[in-house]
Amino acid sequence: MNKDSLSGLVLLALAGGYYWATGFIADSTLEDEVGAVGLPHALTLALVLLGLILLVRGLLAARAAAAHAATGPGAARVEDEERDARVPRALGFLAIGAAYVVLLPYLGYLVSVALLIGAVSLFEGAPRRWTVPLTAIGGALLYWAVFVKLLGVNQPAGLLFQGWLS
Amino acid sequence: MTTFWDIVHLLTATPIIFVAIMGLTWGILGGALPGISASITMALVLPFTYTMDPAMAIALLACVYIGAEYGGSIPAILIRTPGTNSSAATVIDGYELNRQGRAGEALGISLMSGVIGSLFGLAMLALLTEPLSWLALAFTPPSYFGLGILGLSVIASMTGGSLVKGLAAAVIGLMISTVGTDPISGVTRYTFDIPDLLNGVEPVLVMVGLFALTELMSQSGSTAVLALKDSVRIRLPNLAMMNRLKRSQTIGCILGLFEGLTPGGGGSIAAFMSYNEARRWSKTPEKFGKGSEEGVAAPEAANNTVASTALIPLLSFGIPSSNSTAVLLGGLLMHGLLPGPRLFEQNPQVIDSLYVGSFIAIIAQIGVGVVLLPAAVWLVNRPRPYRAGFIFALILSGIYTLNMATFDLGLALALGVVGYLMRIAGFPFLPMILGVVLGHMVESSYRRSLVLSGGDMMVFLQDPICVGLLLAAAGFVIFSLSRELRDARKAKLQEALG
Amino acid sequence: MKFKTGLAFMLAGAIVGGSLFAGKADAQPAPYPQKVVTLVTHSSPGGGSDVFLRELSKYLAKYIDATFIVENVQGGSGAKAVARVAAAPADGSVFYATTPTYIYTSLLSKPPKTYKDLEPLVNVFADSEVVFTREDGPFKTLQDVIDHAKKDRGRWGAANPASLERQAAEQLKRASGVNAAIVTHEGGGDMMLNVLNGTLDIGVGEYQELRSQIEAGKIRVLATFNPERLPQKPDVPTVKESGFNVELVKFRGLAGPKGVPEDVTTIWDAAIQKVLNDPEYKKAYTEEVLIAEFIPHKDYPAFVNNFAETTEGFLKETGAIK
Repeated sequence: MNKDSLSGLVLLALAGGYYWATGFIADSTLEDEVGAVGLPHALTLALVLLGLILLVRGLLAARAAAAHAATGPGAARVEDEERDARVPRALGFLAIGAAYVVLLPYLGYLVSVALLIGAVSLFEGAPRRWTVPLTAIGGALLYWAVFVKLLGVNQPAGLLFQGWLS
Repeated sequence: MTTFWDIVHLLTATPIIFVAIMGLTWGILGGALPGISASITMALVLPFTYTMDPAMAIALLACVYIGAEYGGSIPAILIRTPGTNSSAATVIDGYELNRQGRAGEALGISLMSGVIGSLFGLAMLALLTEPLSWLALAFTPPSYFGLGILGLSVIASMTGGSLVKGLAAAVIGLMISTVGTDPISGVTRYTFDIPDLLNGVEPVLVMVGLFALTELMSQSGSTAVLALKDSVRIRLPNLAMMNRLKRSQTIGCILGLFEGLTPGGGGSIAAFMSYNEARRWSKTPEKFGKGSEEGVAAPEAANNTVASTALIPLLSFGIPSSNSTAVLLGGLLMHGLLPGPRLFEQNPQVIDSLYVGSFIAIIAQIGVGVVLLPAAVWLVNRPRPYRAGFIFALILSGIYTLNMATFDLGLALALGVVGYLMRIAGFPFLPMILGVVLGHMVESSYRRSLVLSGGDMMVFLQDPICVGLLLAAAGFVIFSLSRELRDARKAKLQEALG
Repeated sequence: MKFKTGLAFMLAGAIVGGSLFAGKADAQPAPYPQKVVTLVTHSSPGGGSDVFLRELSKYLAKYIDATFIVENVQGGSGAKAVARVAAAPADGSVFYATTPTYIYTSLLSKPPKTYKDLEPLVNVFADSEVVFTREDGPFKTLQDVIDHAKKDRGRWGAANPASLERQAAEQLKRASGVNAAIVTHEGGGDMMLNVLNGTLDIGVGEYQELRSQIEAGKIRVLATFNPERLPQKPDVPTVKESGFNVELVKFRGLAGPKGVPEDVTTIWDAAIQKVLNDPEYKKAYTEEVLIAEFIPHKDYPAFVNNFAETTEGFLKETGAIK
């Protein structure tokens, strides 16, 4: 299974999911002729067509590649493997962000941002020294000063520290 | 809560030059913070203008708008994150220049192009408000449909080599634009009873998710080092360079003028279209996407022009053409000023200070830019681990400002995953972003036109503006596709030869 | 770019109203159990409810001994602001600026906290909802418009898709039994352009948004949906007088968390009546064509519930909700 045919399948799945969700749109007598579901249906159809084209194209390319496979691995494959190895790292990076989103309402902005900066810095290979916590706390104070004090945006104070941080 | 603006509003008896520069600096700061759009930057100061002299308050808001439209390009160039919706097009070549170690040059070009765009827009506002306001009136629902299609036609030249994948990305973008309240019947679509989705998905969330998060995620795995080859010095373009940029800036100014006049745009369409047009008319179109100076100049001239020309429908009809001008309208109403034909007769001092303040701000932009930008460049060139942490924190803090909702943070992270997968599978981002930005306008104006005509499709052909725009769109698509095909054939030929 | 009347961003900008602007009070302000009163709105700074609250708080301090702060809690079309107020202590320290929007949002999106979780306090104003056309157009009266729609096909505009104006236009269409296309827009300004350029016969919208064009003589007001004629435009008939039994009240008032104590509600009842008679305030709101519509605390919950039921009925009938 190569990238194109896989993308094609994903697109088809996406179109299916979108079509399913379209079913929940209420029917209104205030509707025009096109209706609230008019564009969604057209888009579903378009995505199905594009998904099929990609799928077929991918399968054809795979067959062509299989015929050539005996001639030895191409440079493209090496590149692919290198990129695949990076995927877990990228997802790990994102997981730190997800943790931030989960913790934010509890720990509040100041603490969460400090943890976020510290965690990302370590994840990205900062030397494990006192500079990391120092930078994290300094950065958090800076952002807190800019967003909360200067811009006057109320970032969450946090359930744990309600009262004395806001 | 005592903030900075409490102090400022005590000082408003001071001359307009102070108000203009403060507003501009504030605008640049807000615009440069990702997620904090021009409208939010303006809304954040609005409550403090309540007690100011009306003429000063309006000048201040206009200067904030100018600063914010410019400021959006800074993170677009430096960290691949458009600070405002309209700077998404600047990301393409601006970030590419930065990767080549030419950040100082890119920032200089965007600064000067912004100043030129703003000056042109201000001149149009001051001299031609009356005639141009009638042009705004000529736009009927079918015309808006034509405009939306024209915007979407840009996709044809942004498919990144694969037409099928480009179109699929655009369709997904359009799907995202259908989330929220239906524009005609008012039923909710794809909101799953989540109130955060009632107003739809903010385009800036999609941009941040696709551009910035994807870039951070990819860099996380990569070992390549982004070295600072240049100094942090900002290089303003010299005369020879300005001469080369002349054409792209002119394109940006003209398209910006028209978008400012037509309610609903807010600068992004003009920015994308002028990028596209600048490439078409460029002597070196092959450089676009690989670090073209013109690719930065055109969209920046366009979105800065919009910051002034968007005031034309606002001042003459009281019609806000974007979220930002809606805030400005609120500012006028707060002071009991009614935008409309009589504003010019009854409150000339407000109009004067608006013009004077804007002019000062535009000129001051060069100085403020030269002072602020090196610091920004220095900041993004800190050691990579720390930089990643700070950028991530900045993005997540900024996005929260949009709706004060952690829901938006989750949505942006999810879009980051989507973007990452798209990148691996070779899907281009720009068509998706255009789909998100334009979907609402295309759908609502199409359906509105048909409601008006009772379902008769002829309504689109009876409107001359619509016909003109649709023909232009068809022309674009044919031109772009033939060029792509030619390029692809050439590439194949070379492959076969080599 | 999406542009909707409820600007899709939210922020909390607070300004100290009250004490700063109080000026010289004619009478001693009534003592109040809270020092600071936060007035929450779902509209952005400069939006309808925001301007309403800021103006109101400017004069309220003369009659209630407290400092008033306006807080903008945008997002979710009012759902967030409702949730914020519903969770606040019921001691008279937090109130929400009510408009029909919060009823619509409660009904359309079923958020965790709805209008039922708030207790209406008092009503202050009614907006002026009018039918308007362009001055140089063919229509001189509402009857002209209806006649045209009978013969031909009418083109009527409403500012937003799910809104009171839409409801009013649909009801007028039904009451007059004509064939009219009702075109919804992205806000009042957008619709006004289409009335001015002749795309639409009429628009249904708020007088406030049309003021400058009316003064400039570009727009003619044909009728008002309000129950009574507008004091500022006594020659404009009501829709009811024109022969169509449709009227609506776009209310503006305050609501608090459930269980606001009686001593607080009594103070508000008295203060709102006084503030509406304040000569300076009266001058300001008359200019903005707001109609004083005081509804005391004992009647207001019934009024809001009645409004919600009518709206729910309308939305169910049209199929927008189940």
